[in-house]
Parts: sequence; C-alpha cells; structure tokens
Amino acid sequence: MYSFISSRNIRFILHEVLNAGDLNRFPFFRDYDKDAMDMAIEAAIQITSSNIYPFNKAFDQFKVTHVNGVTHVHPQLKHLIKSIAEGGWICSGASFENGGGQMPEVLSSAGRLIFYAGSCNSAYPFLTSGSANLILNFGSDELKSAFVPRMIAGEWQGTMALTEPQAGSSLSDLSTSATRTEKQGTFHISGQKIYISGGDHNCADNIIHLTLARIKGAPSGTKGISLFVVPKYKLDGSFNDVKTAGIYGKMGQKNYTAAHLMFGESGICEGYLVGEENQGLTYMFQMMNEARIGTGLLAAGNISAAYYASLKYAFERPQGRHPSNKDITTPQVLIIEHADVKRMLLLQKSILEGSIALLLQASYWADIAAHGEGFEKENAHLLLELLTPVCKCYPSEMGIISVKNAMQVLGGAGYCNDFPIEQYFREIPINSIYEGTTTIHGIDLLGRKILMKQGAALSALYVEIGKDLDAALKIEGISLYSKKLTVAVQKLQQITKHLTDLAINERPEVYLADATIYLEGFSQIVIGWIWLKQAIIAQEKITLVDAVSEQQFYSGKIQTMKYYFEYELPKYVPAFERLLSNSKITLETNPLDLL
Amino acid sequence: MKILVCVSKTPDTTAKISFNADNTEFQSAGVQYIMNPYDEWYALVRALELKETLGGTVTLINVGTADDEQVIRKGLAIGGDDAVRIDAAPKSALFVAKQISAHAKSAGYDLIMLGKETIDYNGSEVGAMVAEYMDMPYVSYATKLDIAGSTATLMRDIEGGEEEIEVDLPFVLSAAKGMAEQRIPNMRGIMMAKSKPIQVIPAVPFEDLSVVTSYELPKAKSGVKLVQPENMDELVRLLHEEAKVI
Repeated sequence: MYSFISSRNIRFILHEVLNAGDLNRFPFFRDYDKDAMDMAIEAAIQITSSNIYPFNKAFDQFKVTHVNGVTHVHPQLKHLIKSIAEGGWICSGASFENGGGQMPEVLSSAGRLIFYAGSCNSAYPFLTSGSANLILNFGSDELKSAFVPRMIAGEWQGTMALTEPQAGSSLSDLSTSATRTEKQGTFHISGQKIYISGGDHNCADNIIHLTLARIKGAPSGTKGISLFVVPKYKLDGSFNDVKTAGIYGKMGQKNYTAAHLMFGESGICEGYLVGEENQGLTYMFQMMNEARIGTGLLAAGNISAAYYASLKYAFERPQGRHPSNKDITTPQVLIIEHADVKRMLLLQKSILEGSIALLLQASYWADIAAHGEGFEKENAHLLLELLTPVCKCYPSEMGIISVKNAMQVLGGAGYCNDFPIEQYFREIPINSIYEGTTTIHGIDLLGRKILMKQGAALSALYVEIGKDLDAALKIEGISLYSKKLTVAVQKLQQITKHLTDLAINERPEVYLADATIYLEGFSQIVIGWIWLKQAIIAQEKITLVDAVSEQQFYSGKIQTMKYYFEYELPKYVPAFERLLSNSKITLETNPLDLL
Repeated sequence: MKILVCVSKTPDTTAKISFNADNTEFQSAGVQYIMNPYDEWYALVRALELKETLGGTVTLINVGTADDEQVIRKGLAIGGDDAVRIDAAPKSALFVAKQISAHAKSAGYDLIMLGKETIDYNGSEVGAMVAEYMDMPYVSYATKLDIAGSTATLMRDIEGGEEEIEVDLPFVLSAAKGMAEQRIPNMRGIMMAKSKPIQVIPAVPFEDLSVVTSYELPKAKSGVKLVQPENMDELVRLLHEEAKVI
C-alpha cells in the first residue's frame, strides 16, 4: 500500500469491474491491453512517488510571490511538470499524428488520479493538456504546429481564461473584447480575467491562455463569444502584454496559482482565433465533461491522500481501551480497534472508492462515446452526459466530509502541520467551486440532463442499474442490498416524475429551487449502484482466490458496500422528503428575512 | 558494445511476506511483483546510458516463468532492445547463475551487468557465480562505470571509502546506488516494448547442491513505549540499553 493511493483498487476497477483492456478492440486503442495499462499505472505511481508526493508539503509551505512581473513558485514544480510530460501524460489521448499517445480516457483518468493524490500541483500539466486539446480539436494546422508541441513537452503552460470580474458563472455577461486586425485570424485582445488557474508562474517558458472574448460587433450573450489563443510571449519571444495584476491568496492549493490577468492594458495583446467566430463557448463546452471529470479526479486524489494518512495513523496510534475493559493497567489498544474510528474510516473508504469507481466508469463511457458505434456509442454518450454532474460534485462535496473525518481520526494531531491532514482539509473545498459551483451542476442535472431527449439519459441509467440489481439479487450475501437499492431507485423515479410535473405546471424557479438537493439524493443512489457493482465482483471472486491479501481486499470491498448501504445510502430519504414538499421556503424568503 | 543485463522479479517493497504452513516456500499468491530495483535503477539504466553514448545493444536476461514477462516488458519499455527468458523457476542463486552463463557463453557480450543484490533474498551471489562460470573478472558493488576502448574504469564502495578499479572487457559487474538515476518508462516506451522480441529458451539441466529447509520472518517490532515526563531516568535507560542510540 502506498501512502497516497491504492494501486490494487485502481487495477480492480480497471480490469475486474470495467474490463478496460477490452477497449483495444477499437483500432485507436489497439496497443492498450491489460499489461500495457498496468505498466502505465506503475509508471504513474513511480513518477508520483519520486517527483510529486515527497514535495507536497513543501509546495504548501512555499510562499508564492509576484515580483517585478515574475510569479515565483516552488522550483520543484518544473520537475513535476517535466516528469509528467516526459511520461507521455499530457494530451495522452490525442492521436499519434498530433503528438499524443492514443491513450484511453479511462487510463488517462487513472493516471491523473494518482498524480493528484500525490499533490494538487499535478493539475498544472493537465490544465495544459485541456488547453492543448482545444487547439488540437478546433484550431488551424498553423496554431497546432505553433503551440501544441511545446505544450505537450511541458515547456509551455496552458490555461483556460473564462472568468471575469462581472462574469463568473454567467458567461453571457463576458466583456473581454477582440478587435480585428489586417492579419487574418489575428485579433487585439483587451480585458481582464480573474481566478485563472496556472495563469502565471516561472516554471514554464510561456503561458498559453485559451481565452474567451467577444469580437467587436458580435451578438450579445453566449452566441457572440469566440475562443482565442493568447500567449504571454509571442512566437518571436516578445512580450504580448498579458500582465499579471496579482496572484490570489488562497486557503489551500498555495503553490497552484490563481492569477488576475490584464490583456492589452498598456500595449498590444495579440490573440489568434480558434476555429470559427462566435463558436467559443460551444468549443469550450465540448471539453467540459473532461474538465468536470478532471475536477472530480482532483477531489478524489485529495480524499485518497487524506484517507491513507488517517488509516496509517489509526494503525499506529494506541489510545484508550475497549469500553468493556475497565482495567487501566492493561495496554491501550490501537485506535483502529474503536468502532467509531472504523466508522470514520469506512465512511472515507466508501466515498473514496465510490468516487474512483464512478469517475473511471464515466471515463470508460467517454472512450466508448468517442470510438464506439451505434447504440453502444449513443448509450455511453447519454450516461456520460447524465452523470457528469455527479462525477464533479460527489467527490467534491463528499470529499469535504471525508477529509473532515480523516482529521477526526487524528484528533488534535490532524489539526497540526506535523501531519498532512490539515493541508488536505484546506485544499479539498475548492473542488466544489472549480468548473462551476455545486448549485450550477444541480441545475444542469435537473434542468437539462434529466430532460434531455425526453428523459432518454435517465432511462439508460435505469437500464444499467437494473442489470446489476438483477445480478445482485441472485448472489447470496448481496441480494439484500439489491432490494434496498431497488427501493431507492423506485423513489428516485417517483421524485423525478414529481419534479418534472412541476416543470410543466410551475415556473422554472419552482422546479429548480432545490436542484442541489435533488443532485445530492441522486448522487447517493448512483454511488449505491456503483458500490453494488463492485460488491458483485468481489463476492464472486472472494471464494476463488487463495491469497490472504486478495481475500482481504475483496472482503474490504463487500464490507464497505455494506457500510455504504447502512449508513450513507439512507441519506437520500430526507433529501427526497424535502423535494416532495409543496412548501416554497427559499423562494418565499425575502432577502430582508436574512438580515 | 553488446551488454547483457540480468533482471529479476521481486515482490514489491510494500508486499506482505508470508510462507506456507511448514515454512519451506514463499507464498506468492496475491503478491504484486516489480523488477528488482538494483537491476532496474542502476544496472539497466547505466547500460542504456552506455549504449546511448557508445552505441550497441542492451539485452535483458531473466530466469523465470511466463509470469516474469511483465517485468521484462518494463525493462524493454525503459529502453532495452530485446530479451531472453530462461523458462524455469529461479530455484537458487547458483541455478540462476548457471542458466545465465549457459546462454551468455556463446553470445559474446562485452559486459554483463546486474544489481548488487535482489531485494527479496539479498544474497549478492549471482554476479560472482556468473563471472566464475564465464571465467571473467567480476567487480561487485560498483557505483560508477566508464568505458574507453576496451578498458573500463569503475568506482566501488569499500569500508571507509572508495576504490578505483580498471578492468578489461569483457567482465561482470554488480551495480550499487550511485551508478545511475532511475528512469521511469514513458508511454511511447511502453507501447514500443510490446513489439520488442523476447526469446524464450529452455533451462539447461542443473542439480542444486543445497536446499532451503525453512524460512523465518523477522520478529515483530515491539510497540511504542510511553515514558511519563517525570521519569527521565527510565527514558535514558531505554535509549541506552534497548534502543542503543546513546
């Protein structure tokens, strides 16, 4: 067991739950069999063990400064980026011709999870990956050859520059402008962007901002937004007037810069149009599933590191005796012996492994959606679309609870910086804000995904769950949980119908008022399904293996599934009770009532 | 320059070690295996560096069953050109040395490299035995290796310092920390490894002269001892008599 991740769990999900090696039936993935995937996972762990995890505390303690136009970050970041780049993980899913490795998304996600468990700073190269993928998917050949190779090499940092002071979640209010020049495809960019992750640092030779801006004369709202490549330094090496106004001070992720950028404030800032005019948001949204799953992975990495730190502590720390033992002359027991400590660890394990299994499942669907055909492709696309809000929000929101419990396991030690938990506790909350707050995703799920194609995505999910409910019903020791989940799914169907009726009969405000609560209950049931799926495999395999360590692994899966069904799944009940209520408390609350 | 690098499969450093009921056999079920780090990080990587500067080939050799191929593939992913697997369970150091030398004798290698020891049995025996079978010079625990023409210059750790050695090719060396920096395979290497050849050959007949009669795990470490702040004398006694650090 490593200090930050379980490679056995990753292999279980990849090979035993998903059979991901089967993806090599698609010509694009022909080289990725089980052995190649295992070797890639081992390489990712080696990179993390050598160049990332040992520096995580130093990253946190480094004071990022912005002096004389240079943003100084911890120098190890350069090695971190280089090792991930040299490993072939930036744009790993791109075609060989574009400099990628044609890697399945499911394997890429597993790698990212490992890197993120080592440190949130591993997000830097994957920001670059997302930006470079935008250029590869929508940019001209000229843009591709000018920018992508050095981004893939980890020499240039990529960013996504969307948010502005007056336009956060509401991108229709975006005001950064682009003015045409005489040169085809080249514009002058003017405006400000805030909270730009990786927006400036001195461990890259150039920063390439994939920037949303409105071409002068373009329609207002989201239909008039275009996408530009805006480098900090132009290709001839001269400064492109992208100035860093400042670096935000944050409660966590200290070395992972969030910059306030000014474009063309005191000179000319060139931007190069990506694809067609006014299609910027469409392009961005085509990459959104990847980015949102990426945020879920970042959260899951954080949960993983905190869980294994608290688990280690629980196995080493003697404290107290069993309640039935009143003899204080007997030795203290390890805290792992106490029921409530086990509860806190089971809670973390259920959130962690439930999140990882869901994220890898979604990534697997992304591969099928991209390379499959016919029904298989369409079905995977629907499931991916529907569950992306859960992939983003469940690890992010439940991660906060998970890491809080990790801290509780350590007690006072968890609050002190001799142990890593306090760092993870400061780092986890931002994931519920990256790529849209949880509110936004609740609205996305209920307002868009549930309704899409007359509920086809939700129907596809019910079919998938139904298959596992049937399978579990036939397995001794698990059938009880199949029945519990069946009841939960029936409730979900009932609630969803109730809400969709509201959508027809009431204002959208009423329908969407408690969308976040719907997302919470929906997520609990989805993760219940994901746990049942894992338990089916574990129950089948536990009797077939001889090794004690393997029996323990499968036993841990079954026991954690039981914990989830007994302690976590029932939390959908109060959430759904609220959704069935006709009271409109939040809508009827006058802002002055909150004073 | 034709280099042979001997690679072993060993349990991952995090693997739980256990033996069968009568303690005569290692329980391999469920154990995650890796390439022996001394073979990988030092011998193989230095061999690749030499190939990159002097030209030539790096061949991996492993004595093991088909299960070892994942470890061999990793060596190929890091940069080895091809591999030979002697299809037999590695029963003892002498058996392994016999098999390696039987193949190497006719293949004309300029240099045979391996790690200073494997991290499972820590025997440090195979290198010397191969050299003896091959009738070649042997340098153990080498931390540095340079080659000019047909002469190699090596550094090796000795008690209290280092010594420099010159030796003519061909010879056998065991590599220790300092010889090279670890290389992690990249995705391109992993993909290319799939198409590199692994020649599987049968073992030559060999009868071991010794057998392992039993294994024993180290005694479990005692738990943490808590000493009350007012009892400093006891703390000093424990540090002096038990921990032996003062």
